Amino acid sequence: MTNDHNLEIEGISKRYGETVAVEELSFDVRAGELFGFVGRNGAGKTTTMRIVLGVLAADAGTVRWLGVPLTFEARRRIGYMPEERGLYPKTHVAEQLAYLGELHGMTGAEAREAALGWLDRFGLADRRDADLQVLSLGNQQRVQLAAALVFGPDVLVLDEPFAGLDPVAVDVMAGVLRERAEAGVPVIFSSHELELVERLCDRVGIIDHGRMVACGTVTELRAGGRERRWIDSPAASTDWEIGVPGVHLLQTDGSRRLFELDPGVDDQALLQAALATGPVREFEPVEPSLGELFRTVIGEAGA
Amino acid sequence: MNARSWSLGGTRHLPTTFLVARREVRMRLRSRVFVGGTIVMTVLVVVGIVAASLLAGKTNPVRVGFSGGSQALERSFTATAAALGAKVTVSDIADVTAGEAQVAAGTLDVLVTGSSTAPTAVAKAAIASNVESALSLAAEAARLSDAGLSPAAVTSAMALVPVQLLQPPNPKDNENLFASLALGILLWIALGQYGNMVAQGVVEEKATRIMEILLATIQPNRLLAGKVIGIGLVGLLQLTIVGAAALVAVHVTNVAAIPALGVASILGDLFWFMLGFLFYATAYSAVASLVSRQEEVQSAVAPISIFQIAGYLLVYAALPNPTGPLATVCSLLPPFAPILMAVRMAATDVPFWQIGLAATLTLASIVGLTWLAGRVYSNAALRLGTRVRFMDAFRG
Repeated sequence: MTNDHNLEIEGISKRYGETVAVEELSFDVRAGELFGFVGRNGAGKTTTMRIVLGVLAADAGTVRWLGVPLTFEARRRIGYMPEERGLYPKTHVAEQLAYLGELHGMTGAEAREAALGWLDRFGLADRRDADLQVLSLGNQQRVQLAAALVFGPDVLVLDEPFAGLDPVAVDVMAGVLRERAEAGVPVIFSSHELELVERLCDRVGIIDHGRMVACGTVTELRAGGRERRWIDSPAASTDWEIGVPGVHLLQTDGSRRLFELDPGVDDQALLQAALATGPVREFEPVEPSLGELFRTVIGEAGA
Repeated sequence: MNARSWSLGGTRHLPTTFLVARREVRMRLRSRVFVGGTIVMTVLVVVGIVAASLLAGKTNPVRVGFSGGSQALERSFTATAAALGAKVTVSDIADVTAGEAQVAAGTLDVLVTGSSTAPTAVAKAAIASNVESALSLAAEAARLSDAGLSPAAVTSAMALVPVQLLQPPNPKDNENLFASLALGILLWIALGQYGNMVAQGVVEEKATRIMEILLATIQPNRLLAGKVIGIGLVGLLQLTIVGAAALVAVHVTNVAAIPALGVASILGDLFWFMLGFLFYATAYSAVASLVSRQEEVQSAVAPISIFQIAGYLLVYAALPNPTGPLATVCSLLPPFAPILMAVRMAATDVPFWQIGLAATLTLASIVGLTWLAGRVYSNAALRLGTRVRFMDAFRG
């Protein structure tokens, strides 16, 4: 049953003339998880999200929710924050949130209550009767997120929700997304802030040139990458060659050196070689950050 | 169905088109443009009606003074003048010189001197011909009476020739034509304004990028329909306010004799206004959806505006002969029917089949336009940036 509550993206493709925006893209966002969607500008993240929302028609592929292809009615239950932010600049903040809530099927009373509740949550309770255009950009961004959340969506699709937020707002928004995920809502968001994605997300999808080049937990992505070791061997000469097949020197920091191991290479051979030069003060496996993984994966895909 | 369930925005899930229309109405009613515009229009219309009634009432009677022997003519002159349709007042003037001074000063229009059988008239510039005729006839009667004819014989001798009209006079006379023309043109201008409001509203949602959020939850056709209905209702409300003020002014100033300002005629105008609004608002919304910036709206709607301007010019071209072929044919064509048929109906008795045909053709074209606009709007609404070509949007 839990599988039914996944948002499944299956083989979607979209071309603009000769340009391929998305090609044969498949992944799923599971119920109760935060899915981070990363990729370079123009990689196809926004196109994918717009196809999920139905504001853009795919050339091929399907999007499923609750095990069946998304209908218009089901799409209305998705909370959406588009890349191009947009609300009515000359309308009171609470009023337009309530309006959007009603458009998504809430009653007038429910919508008003939800609008005020979210404004309160984002610290904007005192601005409820202000026109959107007089708010700071950061506060407008909070209202935009409130617009995606106001009707209690079943799925959240957020395009760059953290762009332009101060650290406090980032924490508030991260907390809200985590809370929605824990309530069983699949949450997908795109971001260029890879540290944040690594810290926040259960799974990450890396997209490049319209294709999913890596998808999984950060640990899984690491397993697919190459292992690295820091070695501190003060007795080794500056032009020391490690001489172990499949091991490459990446960088030097005084007497410390960072090596990368090809898949399947035993790190003990590296240690043995280091010990041969004299004492070894440090032998430390390095967990590559998502940023490093991202660069590796994109570099390979681009090559 | 308790009362609460009917309260707007209460506990019911409302259809999205209704929600969009309600938002349009709320936002527009709150805007200064609406409040200010309604006040200005109301004042202009009321002032116009009052001015018209004052001008209409200003056919002042001709003041005629009689001195000496001519004073015997006063009674027969007054009666004859009335028969000839001239409004006159008569007075006795004791002194001829003083009378001439009054004529020179403009406090008296005509001074009659001399005897009743050979009177002389003194006037500043000219005398209205019917006043002059009345005076001549009165003197003629005095001469016949002087010659010994009995009063009855004099009366029969002086009897006016009865005129029998084969065609009864058209109650839709000039004043009426003017009033209907003014109304038609006012409605036409209002129609253009509300059409433009729809165009601006469509582009506003594209320019502010809220379109993507809206279209993720509401079908484009419903969004468009809600917008057109909402703005149409606002327009109708504004016209109703102005129209009610106009009817009150008409009643108070007593120019109600003008049929173009009667309830039936105004309801007819509102009917044509609604058809015209639906026609043009739908067309405007389709072309407006092709652009993404407010500055581009005017150039985008220009091809549609041309029809509106043409309709305006056709009124002047067709009105001198409201039953002629130009007026008849153009008043049947949907882009012009809303104004031309409204004006023709006020100007003359239009055959019922023509009214029915014009309304049917206009309604049918509104249905077609709605389909076309919905298609173009759906395809163009999310294409931001450069102007979308019409055929590209149509093909999708």
